[in-house]
Amino acid sequence: MTRLKLALRLLRRDWRAGELNVLTAALVIAVAAVSAIGLFSDRMERALSGQTAELVGADLRLASPQPVAAEWLVAARDRNLRVAETLRFPSVVVHGEGLQLASVEAVGAGYPLRGELRTAKVLYGPETVAPGPPAVGIAWVEPRIMQALSIVPGAVIEIGVASFRVERLLTYQPGRGGSFFTLAPRVLIALGDVPRTEVIQPGSRVVYEYQFAGNANALAAYRQWLTPQLAPNHRLQGIGDGDSGAGRALKRANRYLGLTSLLAVILAGVAVAMATRRYGERHYDTAALLRCFGVSQGGVLGLLVPQFLLLGLIAGAIGCLLGWLTQAGIAQLLTGLLPATLPSPGPMPILFAFAAGLLLLAGFALPPLLRLKSIAPLRVLRRDMVPLSPPVLMVYGAGLLAITVLTLRFTGDWLITVSVLAGAGVAALALGLLALALLNVVRRLRSGVGVAWRYGFNNLWRRGRGSLTQLLAFGLALMAMAVIALLRSDLLASWQTELPPDTPNHFAFNILPADVGPLKDYFAARAIPSSGLYPMVRGRLTHINDKPVTRPVTKDDDADESLRRELNLSWSATLPPDNRLTAGPWWDAASGGGVSVETQLAERLGINLADRLTFSIGGQPLTATVASLREVQWDSFHPNFYMIFPPGALDDYPATWLTSFFLAPQQKPLLNDIVRNFPAVTVLEVDQVLGQLRAILQQVGAAVELVLLFVLAAGFVVLFAALASSLDQRIYEGALLRSLGASRRQLRSAQLAEFLLLGLLAGLLAAIGTEIIAYLLYTQAFELEYRFKWQVWLAAPLLGALLIGLAGVIGTRSVLQRSPSGILREL
Amino acid sequence: MVSAAGLCKQVVTSEGMLDILSDVTLEIKAGESVAIVGVSGSGKSTLLGLLAGLDTPSRGSVTLAGQRLELLDEDGRAAVRAGRVGFVFQAFQLLAGMTAQENVMLPLELAGVTDAGARARELLDRVGLGDRVGHYPRQLSGGEQQRVAIARAFAGGPEILFADEPTGNLDSATGARIIEILFELNRERRTTLILVTHDEALAPRCDRRIQLDGGRIVNVARVSS
Repeated sequence: MTRLKLALRLLRRDWRAGELNVLTAALVIAVAAVSAIGLFSDRMERALSGQTAELVGADLRLASPQPVAAEWLVAARDRNLRVAETLRFPSVVVHGEGLQLASVEAVGAGYPLRGELRTAKVLYGPETVAPGPPAVGIAWVEPRIMQALSIVPGAVIEIGVASFRVERLLTYQPGRGGSFFTLAPRVLIALGDVPRTEVIQPGSRVVYEYQFAGNANALAAYRQWLTPQLAPNHRLQGIGDGDSGAGRALKRANRYLGLTSLLAVILAGVAVAMATRRYGERHYDTAALLRCFGVSQGGVLGLLVPQFLLLGLIAGAIGCLLGWLTQAGIAQLLTGLLPATLPSPGPMPILFAFAAGLLLLAGFALPPLLRLKSIAPLRVLRRDMVPLSPPVLMVYGAGLLAITVLTLRFTGDWLITVSVLAGAGVAALALGLLALALLNVVRRLRSGVGVAWRYGFNNLWRRGRGSLTQLLAFGLALMAMAVIALLRSDLLASWQTELPPDTPNHFAFNILPADVGPLKDYFAARAIPSSGLYPMVRGRLTHINDKPVTRPVTKDDDADESLRRELNLSWSATLPPDNRLTAGPWWDAASGGGVSVETQLAERLGINLADRLTFSIGGQPLTATVASLREVQWDSFHPNFYMIFPPGALDDYPATWLTSFFLAPQQKPLLNDIVRNFPAVTVLEVDQVLGQLRAILQQVGAAVELVLLFVLAAGFVVLFAALASSLDQRIYEGALLRSLGASRRQLRSAQLAEFLLLGLLAGLLAAIGTEIIAYLLYTQAFELEYRFKWQVWLAAPLLGALLIGLAGVIGTRSVLQRSPSGILREL
Repeated sequence: MVSAAGLCKQVVTSEGMLDILSDVTLEIKAGESVAIVGVSGSGKSTLLGLLAGLDTPSRGSVTLAGQRLELLDEDGRAAVRAGRVGFVFQAFQLLAGMTAQENVMLPLELAGVTDAGARARELLDRVGLGDRVGHYPRQLSGGEQQRVAIARAFAGGPEILFADEPTGNLDSATGARIIEILFELNRERRTTLILVTHDEALAPRCDRRIQLDGGRIVNVARVSS
């Protein structure tokens, strides 16, 4: 107890003497960064998952051609998941003499689980949120049905043998985002009304869809339980499963947040390591004196460990508080941008950050402390005696273990963790060798500068290992900052290009050949940007290499059954802008015919180049050889096709045209005008889906911007810790030089020269590292296109020189301020 | 109190084995004051380190407070020193982050003394620094720092005090004042004093003078006070 009290007293004295400033700052920043990023990304992830869930309509969807076993739903409810059932089937909607093929969706209680249904009283009129699904006997229809059947709200339509009163226009339905590009217009009715229609008969093509929402853990557990029981014709879709823009953005943002936390932790680890090393070196005398006073080796540890433990606890608590306040501040700052009901943060990020702080401290501080334990008491007589370095494995092993545990926590995957760490190890080694080579070059270049500058340059080489450590630390910090900053701008840019401001927000279908020219003119006259008009022929893929296709193939597997066996075929002379060839050439006049197939479909069906595909178009067969495979960006809001033929190949078949176009809010009244001028054309509005996607991208963008600050803060602590690591030696040498007659100006110049050069070299090192690491991250983790980052080669050395030059001169001003005699007397 | 028999210390250098101490045998009784004198490099400080158990001999034995030091490990030797031995160093060895009072308190705190603060103040008063208790080492002159070190050395009530060139870093006037205090306290507290110095003028103040040269004892003389 007495020893513990003494340990605390010693801690207080060290604290007062400023011995613990850097270490505490490093720990506080590490914990604050991990907790703030953890808390914020936890909240954002929950909020974003909620938003994405709205786009999907639920957290998890299960589609099946038959009703699923009742116990599957019981099992979901047992896990406290909310369940909603829907039934989708094609049917003809009748009003008087008018007929329209529609996709009828019967929805049960609780639908929609995520998001809300919105309806309007009149075409293009104001929307209101519907409190729940339609009541029995009521139908809500999409505007296209109104147009096609020329009806107004209040009209009665028939589905099968049942009558429904059309009450409202369905303007927004969550869950259409995933496959909004569905051709048949929808009619929404109550699930209880289905038997009344007598449409569902044995053999009918029906999609039973079950939607689930609830706690993420429960969902994951349910999914794990359900997956092995699924039949091939079941389709399970969760948030982020699809390759949608939102899913991709979310995945990338999560990776970015994880990477940022990891980098902040690694940087803080480096700072903690440097700070404890300095702490250790400055406490050799204390430890030797304690040994002299009769304290055993264990006793020395017994005095030091509680100090560090307490420091870890205090710094951890401050860090957590700071982290919590920061994330709360961020959420406050982004009010309006973030969802109104941002979920509260869970306790896990706080606990983890706290543990991470202690783990970092244990990993990086224990080796220097153990070194203090083994100090020889004889040091009181012979100050040149320093303790033996513990085995390399112990020095680096503990820190490595700490970083491994933290990396594993962020990646959740052993293989990725080992790859990341092995990559980092190789990179550190390569950078170390490079740093050594750079120092060697400096050594050769030192002639030709003034005395003070030459002294500064010489210092770099003379300090050898110290300079190398500093160079690596500075380089690492600058590199981490550069990588995160670059990635941030490129992620933001990629999200901006993903959905540019004039992204088409309307699709127009059923454009008759006679309307193609006038519609083009109409758009041109009103400066309406459109993605061009594409011909479309409906056909069915029947044979691959003369073998019948057994699996139904449509554009969208879970699309309406009426379309299930039909594909939209198109033709084009040029490769559409959102398409990228992955195999085979695009045709030109010389290469002749064939068909270009979308890659995912080709993979699903096992279609390869040169395969013979047979289509049935209006009962007539058409055979074509696969000339190329294309990757298609489906969420570009431009018309896209699984099958594209060369011009002329489909001339014998009846075609309609399709386009997408952008209307600014003030141009919305033009919609009625378009419908009036081109009565055959049906227009689909996708503003809502687009708006939701944009909101998600904006939010992840904001998160990405903000977490950058933590890496910067951690980077600065490393800079400071690295500066502090050589401060004592600099103060001593400065005092000695001044006592030998060097002027303050000469000393300042020498320091400036040394730090400028150190910064310049560190910047160069950072540029090389950034180029390599950014390349790997872009291509392997973020699926971003990588371009040579020439700006880094300019900015990193310049910023490095400026930053480290400035920080160095300010950080070591005590060398110039204190009297040489005072300094020399202390030593 | 302290004895050495056939004490040798060798170190390995680039030119082979170097004898720093050779065959040193001596005995110091409780309450006795002994000056170990010799020129620089004669092995004085090495002998002091061995006698205090701070270092281990290559050959020979050291007995301190009835314990054979060479038979003990580091921690065993530390346990022998604990509460029994005080030190005064040429370089003062004050901890820069602690005030004068805190430096003096340290050995008392290690021994679990409850009124360490009061006793430290009392000792600082005794060495003439009663008004400097809150000062840090860097705010004190060399002489003042050494006075703090002396106060610290006597704080734990040691049976034996090792002083390594206590005036080595001080001017002669300050040095004389420091020696005055050291001997006064030594007399008062009847401490065994082993003083290493190259200052021949200090030797007459001790009971005995042991002269080293080239690592060997070349002369032992009783000094009449």
